[in-house]
Amino acid sequence: MNRRTRLILAAALGAALLVGGTGVALAFQADASAQLRSSGQAGEQADGYLGLVGSASADIRAQVDAVNIKRRAYYTDLAAKRGAKIEEVAATTACELFRTKVGPGQYYRLPDGVWRQRDSAPIPLPGYCG
Amino acid sequence: MKPAILTRVRRDATRGVMRTASGLIVVLLGSLSAGCVQVSAPEKPIEINLNINIRQEVVVRLQQDVKNLIENNPGVF
Repeated sequence: MNRRTRLILAAALGAALLVGGTGVALAFQADASAQLRSSGQAGEQADGYLGLVGSASADIRAQVDAVNIKRRAYYTDLAAKRGAKIEEVAATTACELFRTKVGPGQYYRLPDGVWRQRDSAPIPLPGYCG
Repeated sequence: MKPAILTRVRRDATRGVMRTASGLIVVLLGSLSAGCVQVSAPEKPIEINLNINIRQEVVVRLQQDVKNLIENNPGVF
């Protein structure tokens, strides 16, 4: 393989990686979790992760998994910074999401494990939410 | 007429170009599929444990950090 061929190959590899990276970035939408909540196929859980309401499509499942993996990374990071448990950061986040992000008609799941649909009233928060 | 220099000196010139082209295709396909793997579902789903064991004072201590986290990452929360 001469020098020029190597150069061409390196350029092609760089371009391909760039295209692939952009695709990944675009696949994760800026309002992914809001869209999942309003789809009615996913809801907020008291453990700080999105959950599937009923039998969701493979596409929704993949999106929920993608969001939850990112959440887990953020929880882990913040827990390490504040000397807290990952589960504690996650549960605190759930309190805040119940308070501010779950809209009327959207689904949520408290520690009792039952999926409920929020009506016009605020979600009755667990005692530890403060 | 003089034979072209490529044919005379590099009898494998065409084959060389073909090799380069097929190499490029392999590299392109490989990196594209590598890009796709990153967005696929994880091998093991995250286990959901709804038995929350947390004291209110911990929630209060973490609350402001959590609010910032949510605000700064609108796609994830």
